[in-house]
Amino acid sequence: MWLYIKLAWRNIFRNKRRTVIASTAIGIALACLLFFDSFIIGLEHNMIASATSSFLGHAQIHRQEFRHTQEPAYTINNPDQIMQSLKQETIVQAEKAVSKVDDAVRKGDFFKGQKPQDIVIGSELAEILEVSLGERVVLTLAQAESGDLSQDMFRVSGIYHFGVREMDSGMVFIHIKKAQDMLNISGQVHEIAIKFKSLQYASDDNLAFWSKYSHNGNEALSWGELLPDLKGVFEMTGVFRSVMSLLLMFVVIFGIVNTLFMSLYERMFELGVLRAVGTRPWGVMKLMICESGALAVLSIAVGLFLGLIITGLFTITGIDYRGIEFAGSVIQEVVFPVMKPFQFIIYPIGLLLFMVLVGLYPAVVAARMSIADAIRKSL
Amino acid sequence: MKENTKHIIATKDLRKIYKEDGLEVEAVRGVDLTIESGEFSAIVGPSGSGKTTFLNIISGLDTPSSGDVWLKGRLLTRLSGNELSDLRRDNIGFIFQAYNLIPVLTVEENVEYVMMLQGLPKHERHQRVLNILKQVGLKGMEKRFPPKLSGGQQQRVAIARAMVSRPALILADEPTANLDSKTGTALLQIMTSMEIPE
Repeated sequence: MWLYIKLAWRNIFRNKRRTVIASTAIGIALACLLFFDSFIIGLEHNMIASATSSFLGHAQIHRQEFRHTQEPAYTINNPDQIMQSLKQETIVQAEKAVSKVDDAVRKGDFFKGQKPQDIVIGSELAEILEVSLGERVVLTLAQAESGDLSQDMFRVSGIYHFGVREMDSGMVFIHIKKAQDMLNISGQVHEIAIKFKSLQYASDDNLAFWSKYSHNGNEALSWGELLPDLKGVFEMTGVFRSVMSLLLMFVVIFGIVNTLFMSLYERMFELGVLRAVGTRPWGVMKLMICESGALAVLSIAVGLFLGLIITGLFTITGIDYRGIEFAGSVIQEVVFPVMKPFQFIIYPIGLLLFMVLVGLYPAVVAARMSIADAIRKSL
Repeated sequence: MKENTKHIIATKDLRKIYKEDGLEVEAVRGVDLTIESGEFSAIVGPSGSGKTTFLNIISGLDTPSSGDVWLKGRLLTRLSGNELSDLRRDNIGFIFQAYNLIPVLTVEENVEYVMMLQGLPKHERHQRVLNILKQVGLKGMEKRFPPKLSGGQQQRVAIARAMVSRPALILADEPTANLDSKTGTALLQIMTSMEIPE
């Protein structure tokens, strides 16, 4: 086997220019795959961070019926006990670490004082209502259980802008005590948002946390269950990644087949001689497969180098897609591609196996050629 | 004709017909031939008379349209691709008109290639290569690559490659055709004077 590896390695360098062009083309395809994959992972991280850093959190606890009905009467059972328990959880971040709503406030502030009549509204709602800071608005709510209307006057103390139309035009913030009074649910809450010390916890379906807080009529759900659309989009990007890989692999197929066939037809005499002096058909096949493998090793080296340089560069500079809405969530931060070790192991190994597999075609052609035809001009 | 192991080569009513553009060309027409061990035979004829086709058939590189060929008593048409490869590897040394060395292998590697296929140990291969290269006057050129050699030197490497595995039969098709007359004559002298060790 060593003989064939040596022969193959030397053969691919016989036409250096062709080898360089072919391995660069295949290497660029691998580099593209690495970059695209890293970008998608970075985008996912960004989207999750954007979605969970507002008031969604990594997980939430509700009364079971609340999410579907949005009925004010469905408040969390034993919220004080749950809050005490959450404070003891080592995987949960400190209280009030969830929301970054105050970062989105463009005018005024986010409940700096303790004025019970303060209200923070969205920028689009402010435009619709034609109100600005300091002006008064009336809020009307239907009380829990009875459904009686409850009204109160508030003063606009802050105007936020998330960049999501539904939020900017349809959501207001008031003091929790005031809301409880108006809804007639003294001391009760509808939602507890939780931020874990690591987002990974939210993806762990086997985490004891979920069962611990999903009882007594309450439910604890991760962001993935709370935002199934976003999770669906990520699953779809997985399909896109596969399609992208497939397309790039097609580029690779033609690159390899073209190179190997050119090399094969140029060396028909030689291969004929190898067969004539006693090399078995399988020996010629092994030689061609080794050549395909040698070309793969070169291409992988080029691809990893380019991929590392290009993707590495963007992991420093980032890609600015801020303000673009994607799957109901606005990209709020610069997207930084995320490189993972598996990309630099799985994809190159996959490419090597794929190239060897594709190399089987010219290898079979070489093994089945007529020796007499191959050396007709020489013997 | 029965298989006769005394003959290195035996053919019976050997025919080869090529079909091109609807025309049939009979390249080999009913050849009956036997070549004994130790014989030095020459096939002569004008260009296009079928010499190369005949050599291709008796060495198992091509198949006859009809007739039989025995190589050391084995009927070639009954052998599989692998069996034919092994038969050529162990019994035939080829010397081609255009040298046909492997340019990416050194002189030493070209000469020892067949022995590597035969699975001979490295030290034995090395010893045989040194001996045969000395016989063909290429001592000290073991590490050179064929493109760096002259035509005469390349053909001497080809002769060494054909003989080093000690084959029962050496087939040479116009081995001096690409050489000048002086070099060609010298090469023929080498071939006729060389002894293949038993």
